[in-house]
Amino acid sequence: MRRVVLVNRKDNVVTAVSDIQEGETIELEEASKRIVVKKVVPFGHKIAIEKIAKGRCVIKYGECIAKAKEDIEEGDWVHSSSTDPRGAPNNIEEVYVPPE
Amino acid sequence: MKVEFFGYERPDGTVGVRNHVAIIPSVGCSNEVAHQISHLIRGTVALTHHQGCLTPPRDLDQVARVLIGLGKNPNVAASLIVGLGCESVDPDEIADEIAKSGKPVELVKIQEEGGSIKALAKGAEIAAKMALEASKVRRKKVDASSLIVSTKCGASDTTSGISSNIAVGQAADIVIKNGGTFILGEVCDIMGAENILAKRAVNENVREEVITMVKNLSDLGEALSVDVVGTQLTGGNRRGGLSTVVEKALGASVKGGTAPIQGVVEYGEKPPGRGLYLMSTPGHGFENLTGVAAAGSQLMLFTTGVGAPEGHPIMPTIKICGNRETCSRLMSHIDVDVSQIIEGTVAVEDAGKKLYEEVLSVASGKLTKAEILNFDETMEILVHGPIM
Repeated sequence: MRRVVLVNRKDNVVTAVSDIQEGETIELEEASKRIVVKKVVPFGHKIAIEKIAKGRCVIKYGECIAKAKEDIEEGDWVHSSSTDPRGAPNNIEEVYVPPE
Repeated sequence: MKVEFFGYERPDGTVGVRNHVAIIPSVGCSNEVAHQISHLIRGTVALTHHQGCLTPPRDLDQVARVLIGLGKNPNVAASLIVGLGCESVDPDEIADEIAKSGKPVELVKIQEEGGSIKALAKGAEIAAKMALEASKVRRKKVDASSLIVSTKCGASDTTSGISSNIAVGQAADIVIKNGGTFILGEVCDIMGAENILAKRAVNENVREEVITMVKNLSDLGEALSVDVVGTQLTGGNRRGGLSTVVEKALGASVKGGTAPIQGVVEYGEKPPGRGLYLMSTPGHGFENLTGVAAAGSQLMLFTTGVGAPEGHPIMPTIKICGNRETCSRLMSHIDVDVSQIIEGTVAVEDAGKKLYEEVLSVASGKLTKAEILNFDETMEILVHGPIM
């Protein structure tokens, strides 16, 4: 049963479609690789499928959706704590919302 | 190879997927009579709303444009306009404009007839004749290029942006490839992806129209001190995994597929040509569906995550859901279950083809769940206000 969805071939994140447990290995057919998930990633949240250096784009739907606030390693959970909408080319959010 | 469906050919060359006799109040004050006629006479639907008076001229023009568009929608075989007599919108003008389609149109005014019961009696007799004549029209095999398909997402959840919306985008590309037209709306959902969408505009004018359409909404928000952007990413969205407004907007915009954007149309305005168009509509369903129906859309691909049940009186809504749990509980409201995309057992391209087959099937007469449940009576017409 599928654990993650890769929306676009250009993406550097996948979206979890189950709760992924710490230490789980994910098969990525499209990228022909396996990644180990570092921490629990809930359904609907994103996982980096390659390293995303600080200041680089998080890419989903083939477009930049945010900039990495710090270095993100392959297998890391990707969400508001490690990303900043400001700086992404199409960003319209003025205020950075801290993670809950 | 020809792609076809069985539809109702209308005198103006358009093709309907349904064959309704529409009872159209020119103003909210006529709703009761319209409603009562639709209960008396089989084959009629009442297009009730709450507008038609006491709004600025811009709104009255919009309401008139929409009422005319609804009567002209190819799913309507004939229209009976029910006026009051003192409303700001002119029922005679509505009737005259709809009549240009070549379809039968009649008009009854409550105050002129001498009250609601007399208007009901006269209107019901007219509607009965219209229903009889409409029942004689037969479906004919027609080219799929006659289709104007619209889309919307309602009660979205995490599955929407990664399954159902993408499948609709695949279907949108097929609609357009086969010569049809596709309308993407919900400006609030596009906000954040407008620059990305604008790159697909066919020329500089259209590119500017896309940007302006979204800018108008954010300007309006600013004027009213409403943080439109701030409302677009809720706590629930974040808990569900969405990190930025751009991510959410892309997940919504993907419903429009990959075709070049031919133009931007006003609320209720018919696209001037074939292909992909954007329409300035709100996310709020009652006004949204009426806007595309008035533009001539014969049916809608409507994605939902947690279960949005509503339909529209004249335009079938095909409900599509990628959430397995919702599908198992609410299948009575859902037409196509695409949760297998998430499970990995169905490729999104194949789900898109399946959706297109469903479009042809519903176009040829298959009923949607909203129609079967009669969950399709509520509609509204968008006005900017103020309501005075």
